[in-house]
Amino acid sequence: MTALTKYTFSTLQRYLLALAACALTTLIAWPLHNTLDLANTVMLFLLAVVLVAAFLGRPQAILASFASVALFDFFFVPPQISFAVSDVQYLVTFAVMLAVALFISHLTAGLKASTEEAVARQTRAQALYSFAKSLAGAVSVEQAIAETVAFIGQHAGGDALVLLPDRDESLHAFPLETDATAPSLTLAEQISARSVFRDHVAIESTGIGASGGTRLLLPLAGSTRCRGVLYVAAHASDDAPPDRPPALDRPLLEGVASLVAIGLERLHFVEVAQHSQLEMYSERLRNSILSAISHDIRTPLTSLYGLADSLATAMPALAESERETVIAIRDQALRLHQMVANLLDMARLQAGKVRLRKEWQPIEEVIGASIQAVSQAVKTHPVQVELAPDLPLVAIDAVLMERVLCNLLENAAKFSVPGAPITVAAAVENDRLALSVSDRGSGFPPGSLPRVFELFERGAAESPVSGVGLGLAICRAIVDAHDGEIRASNRDGGGACVRIALPLGRAPNIEPEPAEADGNADDGDRE
Amino acid sequence: MSGGVGSTILIVEDEKQIRRFVRQALEREGHRMFEAETIAQGLAEAGSSKPDLVVLDLGLPDGSGVQFIETLRTWSSAPVLVLSARASERDKIDALDAGADDYLTKPFSVGELLARVRALLRRRRPAQEQAEPLVRFGDVEVDLARRQVRRAAQPIRLTAIEYRLLVAMINSAGKVLTHRHLLREVWGPPYSDSTHYLRVYVGHLRRKLEIDPAQPRHFLTEIGVGYRFRQ
Repeated sequence: MTALTKYTFSTLQRYLLALAACALTTLIAWPLHNTLDLANTVMLFLLAVVLVAAFLGRPQAILASFASVALFDFFFVPPQISFAVSDVQYLVTFAVMLAVALFISHLTAGLKASTEEAVARQTRAQALYSFAKSLAGAVSVEQAIAETVAFIGQHAGGDALVLLPDRDESLHAFPLETDATAPSLTLAEQISARSVFRDHVAIESTGIGASGGTRLLLPLAGSTRCRGVLYVAAHASDDAPPDRPPALDRPLLEGVASLVAIGLERLHFVEVAQHSQLEMYSERLRNSILSAISHDIRTPLTSLYGLADSLATAMPALAESERETVIAIRDQALRLHQMVANLLDMARLQAGKVRLRKEWQPIEEVIGASIQAVSQAVKTHPVQVELAPDLPLVAIDAVLMERVLCNLLENAAKFSVPGAPITVAAAVENDRLALSVSDRGSGFPPGSLPRVFELFERGAAESPVSGVGLGLAICRAIVDAHDGEIRASNRDGGGACVRIALPLGRAPNIEPEPAEADGNADDGDRE
Repeated sequence: MSGGVGSTILIVEDEKQIRRFVRQALEREGHRMFEAETIAQGLAEAGSSKPDLVVLDLGLPDGSGVQFIETLRTWSSAPVLVLSARASERDKIDALDAGADDYLTKPFSVGELLARVRALLRRRRPAQEQAEPLVRFGDVEVDLARRQVRRAAQPIRLTAIEYRLLVAMINSAGKVLTHRHLLREVWGPPYSDSTHYLRVYVGHLRRKLEIDPAQPRHFLTEIGVGYRFRQ
């Protein structure tokens, strides 16, 4: 009992003091009994009862009430120094005096209790307020929890432990470095903690603790979800009777729990905001690097390529070996440019920056354009195109799809011997457009199939074939952006095959032309 | 000015080395070269030297290529060849729609440059002559006067729209045509965004007139931009 009176007496002492107060009143009133009217004497006793009620408590005031009536009767009511009563109306006096005394003691004691409670509440509120302030200033979860544990130890009379959920939503006690007396949970308590976390309902128990004493488990319920569990074990108290374990200030602890929940939530969102800011910053950095590379690296490469080409085609022609050197310079410049272009494309695709410009078109057109674009690279390989009849239109970004096919065709040419055929096929399979590029080359190295579409993955380390290993990664990124699938496999009989499946959807209608009237293309003299 | 030899060519490009090799290549062909580094300079130079062809870079620091083209077009019909980086199809299309005639993607070789320049200069001639009524490509013969199309001497039937498309492409042979341009010319302005129509009809023409429609030799795709008809 955290009483706020300056003196703490034991209960027996209080009763004795109550009697002493009555005795004192008698002593004061006795010398005046001849001059003082009996009514006034009654007032003196009532005053004593009030004082006893105000300072000593209700039971003591009740004792004082009875004692006052007895002393009044014995010493002041005629015949004096006797319990006998000469006039029957004094019985009424006794009855009313007792009633009034009891009533006054009741009210006064009640008032005192209210005052005490109000002061206690005030103190609790002040404490919570200063706790809230320090919690609002906490910049990390450790700090917040340390403040909480310190506060609970100081003001709520218990040892606290905060349990926080990890990624898998299982609770773990948050460790504090300076904590030597952190309580540990028994298995039963852990189970209870989990149910508190799940159901958002507090559990208070005097029996579940290992060593007895009150235990309280409070959910830390934030606005969006439960943030953890607060576990408080009451301090062992030396003067508490063994059959009544020390209680915890539950209203205070509930206030603490909600403040801690809000604090944890705030810290969580601070982290989220910091994370977003970091993302934004790195995004900006990446974009400025990309645009710098875009122009600043490509320009000298363009010049290199053009100047070397100009030299290679100069008239009068250079000596043969010099001309070959210059052609090599030109080709290296082109390769470098392609690598830079690949890197930039990959960076852009990875950043999710690419917006598809999808248009409905026949896949045939992109196939034709790709073959034309890589005609130099595949000139030593016959390319066959096998298209199923009546293929529907497909919604694709032509420029990006052309890149995919060019990459696949170039790979096919790179990894197979001159003369080996390359086949591009398209057909409808399972509501999707199935596109494939196959060759009769060396195929994918055994065991590498799961990884071929990874970044910087090359067929064989240090292979003589050029490239940084981005081609297939770019293909996958583009196909993914189209909600399609890409798969690599080795063919029976040797060679590699890359298959792409693209979703079809509802192609727009092409209105048929109005029936021919006259004067246009369908003249009578043509069949 | 005939055959494109000995013409006056203006190059507007801010990168010195690119100007250098372009100038070298074109001077070797016998052309007279003028240079400019900015849009403003370019316009001034175009006004004074009255070039037969302008090579314009689309990444100039002091303005957009479209501005240059629009201004130039108010007083000159000289063909404009734009140079642009890859992966900026939008820039190319805008330039072509504004009045440019063809484009080259960086990096480009001397051979590609010369081929484009020759094609653009050659087309200046037909302004003074009648266009040929008979056009031949592959094993196809188109008689524009009689509106007849033959392939391997057999008559080929084309629908009205297919024929209109064929004519539009033949009339701009060698020159890149944007989707928008073809759609407006063949179908009309309300269809300028219905690219699927254009693609399907080009597919029809390829199927009827090309040896291998999947690997066309005459009706070429300029990916992301439009089409080019090559004889």
